[in-house]
Amino acid sequence: MFSTLMVRVGEVLLPGDEFSCETDDTISLTDHVKPEKVVCGPGLRRSGDRLVVCKSGVLRHKQPNVFWIDSQQRRYVPAKGETVIGIVTTKSGDIFKVDFGGSEQASLSYLAFEGATKRNRPNVQVGDLVFAQFIIANKDMEPELVCIDSSGRANGMGVFGGGGLLFRVSLGLVRRLLSPHSEIRSDLDQLFTCELVVGMNGRLWVRSSSVQQTLIIANLLQSCDTMTAPQRRELFRRVKQGAL
Amino acid sequence: MQLSTIPPRSYVISKSPSAAKQMTSSTLDRLLFLHGGGVMEVCGSSSVTLREFGCEQSLLSRPDGSASFIQGDTSVLAGVYGPAEVKVSKEIYDRATLEVLIQPKVGLPSVRERSQEQCVRETCEASLLLSLHPRSSLTLILQVLHDDGSLLSCFLNAACMALMDAGLPMSCLFCGVTCAIDTDGQIITDPTAAQEKESRALMTFAIDSTERRVLMSSTKGSFSVHELQQCIAVSQKASEKIFQFYRDSVRRRYSKTL
Amino acid sequence: MKDTPLSNCERDFLLKAIEEKKRLDGRQTYDYRKIKITFGTDYGCCFVDLGKTRVMAQVSCELVAPKENRPNEGIMFFNIELSPMASPAFEQGRQSELSVKLNRQLERCLRNSKCIDTESLCVVSGEKVWQIRVDVHMLNHDGNLMDAASIAAITALCHFRRPDVGIQGDEVTVYSPEERDPIPLSIYHMPISVSFSFFQQGTYLLVDPCEREERVMDGLLMIAMNKHREICSIQSSGGIMLLKDQVMRCSKIASVKVSEITELISKALDNDKKARKAGGRCGFAESIPQERITALKMDETPVEMMDVTDRANDIVQKAEAPPQTVPSPVVPAPGVGQVGQGLQNTWGLEEQEESDNSGEEQEEIKTQMKEKKDENRGGDVVEISDSEEEEVVILHPEAPDKLPKNTGSGSHQKGAATTKKRQKK
Repeated sequence: MFSTLMVRVGEVLLPGDEFSCETDDTISLTDHVKPEKVVCGPGLRRSGDRLVVCKSGVLRHKQPNVFWIDSQQRRYVPAKGETVIGIVTTKSGDIFKVDFGGSEQASLSYLAFEGATKRNRPNVQVGDLVFAQFIIANKDMEPELVCIDSSGRANGMGVFGGGGLLFRVSLGLVRRLLSPHSEIRSDLDQLFTCELVVGMNGRLWVRSSSVQQTLIIANLLQSCDTMTAPQRRELFRRVKQGAL
Repeated sequence: MQLSTIPPRSYVISKSPSAAKQMTSSTLDRLLFLHGGGVMEVCGSSSVTLREFGCEQSLLSRPDGSASFIQGDTSVLAGVYGPAEVKVSKEIYDRATLEVLIQPKVGLPSVRERSQEQCVRETCEASLLLSLHPRSSLTLILQVLHDDGSLLSCFLNAACMALMDAGLPMSCLFCGVTCAIDTDGQIITDPTAAQEKESRALMTFAIDSTERRVLMSSTKGSFSVHELQQCIAVSQKASEKIFQFYRDSVRRRYSKTL
Repeated sequence: MKDTPLSNCERDFLLKAIEEKKRLDGRQTYDYRKIKITFGTDYGCCFVDLGKTRVMAQVSCELVAPKENRPNEGIMFFNIELSPMASPAFEQGRQSELSVKLNRQLERCLRNSKCIDTESLCVVSGEKVWQIRVDVHMLNHDGNLMDAASIAAITALCHFRRPDVGIQGDEVTVYSPEERDPIPLSIYHMPISVSFSFFQQGTYLLVDPCEREERVMDGLLMIAMNKHREICSIQSSGGIMLLKDQVMRCSKIASVKVSEITELISKALDNDKKARKAGGRCGFAESIPQERITALKMDETPVEMMDVTDRANDIVQKAEAPPQTVPSPVVPAPGVGQVGQGLQNTWGLEEQEESDNSGEEQEEIKTQMKEKKDENRGGDVVEISDSEEEEVVILHPEAPDKLPKNTGSGSHQKGAATTKKRQKK
């Protein structure tokens, strides 16, 4: 299984493509036989003794044995532990309802903020942006967000301050921006100094010194979706010349 | 007073060069079958071509997935929203609710559109893994841009491309192929509107990508069992071309992120 | 389905940007987004892209009876369809406030401005006139649907050709396009709507608002105008108070925009005319941008047909032969036929109860049985196989009333009938 998957890493796969896990005909008696283990990420599903692709995209691999399909999707499906930018839509009793672009609204307790107590409620208004993390996200339950980590610290999460612009990009671009050594991020760093918040749900929030600069950054990032690395560098270079 | 009205779009005659080609090459290798009862049946198998077809994905900014599919002059635009919030009245506890809406070009949707919606919906339900998004809604909207025959198969192809673009989990892909049997018993695949009008029978099949099984069939007119089997076999052959096209276009789309 | 809510942050930023004369897509205050006009394969079909907003218009015609009060005028009908494809907030088949507003505005812009010569659409006065129907479909909503719809509608009307008609005595003949060339509509002028959105109680003004700008605007002013600078309709909504100067300024801007757009429309129409004359392929299919990576096109492809016939033969031969024997139909009552398994309806009333029925009915049954018996004796009409006779024999005597009274051999039926008769007596 591992080797058949490995061969096709980087290839474009379509729903319905299959990997069968045929065992070797001969089992070596001398070698130590290890059971093969493969971890399937989004877009791959097990069906009996086969692995079936269920989304179109590029097959990716991460050491040691993780495989997933990288697709350019626009609609977000929540996953536990992911951080998103949400918009508070209603305040009802002890919870806020937060729109994060998924199939239903998530709930966010007013106690799930750093330093919040029953007396000391966080100042959150309807229409405010929150940067929060899923602690419950599965298909059968209502998703739940929190703005604290396991030790009760904000750790960068919470309600957004004033200013800045919110805009949408594809989920694929968001993942590229968040990857450990993102080229887009470093290219952008050289161009402008700005504050950038990336939500896994495809929402980006950016704030920089002026309205003009914020707009340029937003438009640059939105156009990054359909550009190769050289095209992007060329564009960034031109912007730099024009902007400086 | 006598009056002969012409419906507004009936005078559209295909300018496609393929139509003429299909007519002329149809006399080649005809096969004659003698049935037990001495009935002679003419089965042609030469005029089988698909008109040129094209597709564009993610061309609309609002929907979560969109695609336009073009077969000859027939073209359809598809948009998908979902998985999104569902109305309580339409909620299904263990799977997503799929809604298919077909918008005709002139006027409001009628019974014809409703039946086509059902054909498309049942095909999509067979290939989508709806149980992965329970209590949510998927909406597929299909807009007719131009009807020049084989409309139902174009709906199916546009729907498949749009669902793929939206990144919805699917167990397999599907495509639609329309076959017409003309008065001589010749099979014409992907017929134009003029060819459809002259045909004796018209069949549309939805075919899945893994085992080339028939997911849906919609037929009109009369035909023998043998002809039906032949049309299915032809459609399965034609589906391979379409699936290859799907693969090529998705590959092209991801070419920059490889 | 609900639309994504607008956050406070977006609202504040947009208003701040407007104050600084900046727009989201880098446009200037009075700039329109890129307008692209494409035609469909048939006459009267037009696509308009206004930035990311996309609409389609289709014109069609039909011969109808004219309105009572205008016996020699054709009828114009406009329909704006807010397809759910354009935005998740649009629902199918529901007349929303927005759709009523857009429909009304389009009617005022194109019908009430008398830009189309409706009298030329009359075929027989008081009896037959052409009804011209314009369907506008919204495909993608990114703001300023009205302007896009008005451009699409008027362009489609200019592009449309109606079939020619001939009148000989009382007979009206509609000629197909092969017989006689179809005729374009006579259009006096082309009204085009230009939208202005106002912010901060009318302090700031933007032309061609995009979707997010529309969400934060305070008021909207739509001016429909033709290239002769004649205002065809004007509508202000949102309840803002505008000064006379502001309206004058807007109408001046509108006149510039309208002449630009009119120029574009006539260029597009000319272009299409040339392409059609040259006999080349035109229309939407040809407009797929080849250079985009999201698009792909394939030429006409033949399908390999080598083994199709063989395969079909195989399948047909392998398939189970359909049963040739058709079970003989049974006539349970005059005018009724029955085939299928069992042939016995267990839902009926039991015979004991039936015996309460009137004597006439029983008589009828009896005579019917007799007739049937006669037929059986003749042997040429109804054939009863051996198996059926066996079936009757097997039945338990405990439930004689469940006996199939109309099937089985004639003698049994006769017996049943006679017992019934006896019971009745």
